[in-house]
Amino acid sequence: MSTEAIFNSIQHSAIGDSIGAAGSLAGAISQLVHIAGFLLILSPVVLVNLRLLGFGLKKQSLPGLIKATTPQIWYGLALLLLSGLYTFIPSANIYYHNPAFWIKFALLAIVLVIQFTLFRQVTSVEHPKRSVAILTATTSLVLWFSVALAGRIIGFI
Amino acid sequence: MSVVTILQQLYDSQLGTALRESLIVFPLVEGLHLIGLALSVGLILITDLRLVGLFLRNVPVEDVLKGLRPWLLVGFVITFGTGILLIWAEGPKIWEIPIFPFKLLLIALAGLNAIWFEFQYGRTVSVWGKNIVFPNGVRIAGWVSFVSWSAIVVCGRLIPYLDKTIH
Repeated sequence: MSTEAIFNSIQHSAIGDSIGAAGSLAGAISQLVHIAGFLLILSPVVLVNLRLLGFGLKKQSLPGLIKATTPQIWYGLALLLLSGLYTFIPSANIYYHNPAFWIKFALLAIVLVIQFTLFRQVTSVEHPKRSVAILTATTSLVLWFSVALAGRIIGFI
Repeated sequence: MSVVTILQQLYDSQLGTALRESLIVFPLVEGLHLIGLALSVGLILITDLRLVGLFLRNVPVEDVLKGLRPWLLVGFVITFGTGILLIWAEGPKIWEIPIFPFKLLLIALAGLNAIWFEFQYGRTVSVWGKNIVFPNGVRIAGWVSFVSWSAIVVCGRLIPYLDKTIH
């Protein structure tokens, strides 16, 4: 089965049909949940990356900040996933033909791998090597912002 | 001169027209408006939650206020700058959506609240920040800020749902 056929069957599945019939109010609510998830992830990402760069809460323990902000990242991911699926499933065919959609998810895949490998490694110690910290923070910020940008651009294509 | 006249002049101006018709710049401005949000509203919500005692309680409040202030201000420059450009390009259409003037009112409320907090408590944070329980005014300002900025984001995201001609 081709990817396009899979997308088509997702859209025409029972879930796809019922979300499609649910109306625009539910759609608007799911978009509000999506932006809440965005803020839940991006604010701790910005906070910790600023700290890695030597700004913001620079006096605070790095692992301590990670411990305090990790739950927000998970809640944010859960909200983004649920609301994202709600938006995607009834319109899968449209997204298949949208290059910004594919760019967003390629970038998201890369940033999630970095988040759970390099980022996790670097933030697990109190004083990571300065050059590694700066490289990690810059990569993380650029990628997360690019995911957001690509996501916003989906609506214009 | 009425608001609508001013917005119409901006809409008809060279910059307004160029922005609106640009297939690349307009989506980029929208994208930057969103990214700016992570810095501006993202960091101010963290600050608010610290003021009301729900987040980062182990971090001295003075460090949160002073450490994050320059960055959330950078965020607000981006958010407001791109917001002004968006109004420049699509002002008259956005103004017709009742939720937009309401969003502006909420921004004014959040701004006044921030100014009041700065004058009332900003300079004495090294004193009250050492207490376990912060003064009532501090917690009220934190909640007012948290609720109004959340509502501002909600209003902003609903704009395209209330006018289908806007993305």
